[in-house]
Amino acid sequence: MKNLNLILAGVFGCVASVWVGLLVTAQVQLGSLGRAPAEEGGPLFPAREPGLAIQGRAVYLDLGCVACHTQQVRPAGQGSDIARGYGVRASVARDYVLQPQVLLGQRRVGPDLANFGARAKSDAELAAFLAAPAAGTNHPPYAFLTAERSAALVAYLKSLRQDYSSPEAKLKQ
Amino acid sequence: MSQENRPGRPPGRPPESGAARLSRTEAGLRGPFLCFFTSAVLWLVVASVLALVAAVKLHRPGFLGDCELTTYGRVVAAARDTFVYGWGFNALFAVNFWLMAQLGRFEFRNGWLASLGGATWNLALTYGVIQILRGQLGGFSLLDLPREVGPVLLVAFLLSALWAVVTYARRPSGQNFVSQWYVVGATFALPLVYLLAQLMVLWFPTVGTVQALAHAWFVQNLLFLWFGASALAAAYYFVPKILGRPLGHYYLAPVGFWTLFLFSGLAAPAALLGAPLPIWIQSVGVVASVLSIVPIVVTGINFYATLSVDAGWARAWNSTTLRFVAVGVVSFTLFGVLNAVFSTRDLSAVLAFTSFAEGQRQLLVYGASSMILFGASYFILPRLTGSLWPSAKLVHLHFWTAFLGLLVGVAAALIGGWQAGHQLADPAVSAAQVAAHAAPWALAGSLAALLLLVGHVAFAINAFGMILASTTPTSEGRHD
Repeated sequence: MKNLNLILAGVFGCVASVWVGLLVTAQVQLGSLGRAPAEEGGPLFPAREPGLAIQGRAVYLDLGCVACHTQQVRPAGQGSDIARGYGVRASVARDYVLQPQVLLGQRRVGPDLANFGARAKSDAELAAFLAAPAAGTNHPPYAFLTAERSAALVAYLKSLRQDYSSPEAKLKQ
Repeated sequence: MSQENRPGRPPGRPPESGAARLSRTEAGLRGPFLCFFTSAVLWLVVASVLALVAAVKLHRPGFLGDCELTTYGRVVAAARDTFVYGWGFNALFAVNFWLMAQLGRFEFRNGWLASLGGATWNLALTYGVIQILRGQLGGFSLLDLPREVGPVLLVAFLLSALWAVVTYARRPSGQNFVSQWYVVGATFALPLVYLLAQLMVLWFPTVGTVQALAHAWFVQNLLFLWFGASALAAAYYFVPKILGRPLGHYYLAPVGFWTLFLFSGLAAPAALLGAPLPIWIQSVGVVASVLSIVPIVVTGINFYATLSVDAGWARAWNSTTLRFVAVGVVSFTLFGVLNAVFSTRDLSAVLAFTSFAEGQRQLLVYGASSMILFGASYFILPRLTGSLWPSAKLVHLHFWTAFLGLLVGVAAALIGGWQAGHQLADPAVSAAQVAAHAAPWALAGSLAALLLLVGHVAFAINAFGMILASTTPTSEGRHD
């Protein structure tokens, strides 16, 4: 292996073949997904985020909430996400097609939030929890949040829902 | 006991009579090397302070809780980026540079270009880290520097690191060694991967979960093909060099090299098992992760065959450089075995989203790469500065705090992750109970972070003391 061109060509081949084989192929398979009804003529899902929730997403990112919270419900048999009440069905790729940043997350110091909107308390209770979490929880206090930012964050958290049927994941009646 | 560790004499080159002499190869390297190395050490101390704050916040969420600058998410991102892009990249630029020039007997004449790249890199990173702490934070770890920093880092990388490829192409000696392949491969692969990941995740985001796949692919390549490959390059140089014997089973080394570069990227989806991605992608990731054991076995055979004859381990223990490098080599093997075993579907389902993966990453990035970089620093710096390490006690303090910090940190993350994973798999155990059981492991994580901070401060004091005390060595009279 004395030839520089051989090393460069080989390394390029390794990187490029994996990029094409995994990422380009995944983009071809999933890139055209859009909103869709579960049944013909039904409402389109996922729903668009309300304006306040879009601002709340920015707050969620600013504070670095993704360091402790995931947003993905794994299928039964792959962890206990559904049994723990994190969701009513497994997340599917279509659930994320409207999200500018897909915040699947890597660590669960706190609970999964993919379907948090479906189990959330009232806005006031949620805002109070964020400002001063109950004793015994490991959530940090965010007393520094202004009322506007807190309201936006609450709106974002409540907009997180995966409790609808989609073509790939129909809810059991 | 080697001369490096003789009691009362700090490690480093023995004093010479008259002015210290540099080879011509080393004379051209001195400026850029010291530029990268001093930046690396400063970032290491900053990263260690941030890592300690983040570790404390995990078991005391209210710590510094009144200040938005120090939310856990921001501090942990800043700690990770300063460690990886500040310490890791700068130190690897410096060591790769030195390795390639030494092995190729290349006289470096345009050091200012590399130093310009280093200055650009560090200014862009400083801006990026300040922005992270101010809240301009992306959602993807290790791609969370502000988007506008990416192109600057890419240009700075090309200015700083591509000299390694130039050095290999124009080496007058025609000498060829396995370390050179790894440095050339790592230096060529990383900018490609970084560019594609920046485009697919930040500049022209792909739709939906393909973003998450592109991010996982980037992280996997960054860890394996930059940190892993560059650390292996240094280990392949220092183990046979200091022991003074040829590398064992050298003929296997190309197999290790090519399989590392082939399987590493392919294994990326293993980190996304259970995610909303096609099953075939996840299966490819698991298979490639298991196959990643091949380069681990090959590098293990190379290193352990060299270390296991003629009291090699004992000699490694008595050499400051090789002691760090040996810990790095063992950490790399351990990491590889854990990575292959725990990426299987059943185990991954239990351990996903816990600290277990963090423990594995720590083994690679700190246990393997950083320990090897520390060892390399103890070898190279005395040669370039013409000085001795000012304090042997600080060298010992550095080794033991780094080693114990690594041990405690990795054990806490792995055992704590294992426990949390099994509790999370049982729906009867509430989230509050899981958090309560995780607290002692988080406390152990803080202890590890404190140990590492002490070790890094000792290293920094010693290194800066040495650099400040150094004369400007001349290149007269010494030739390679």
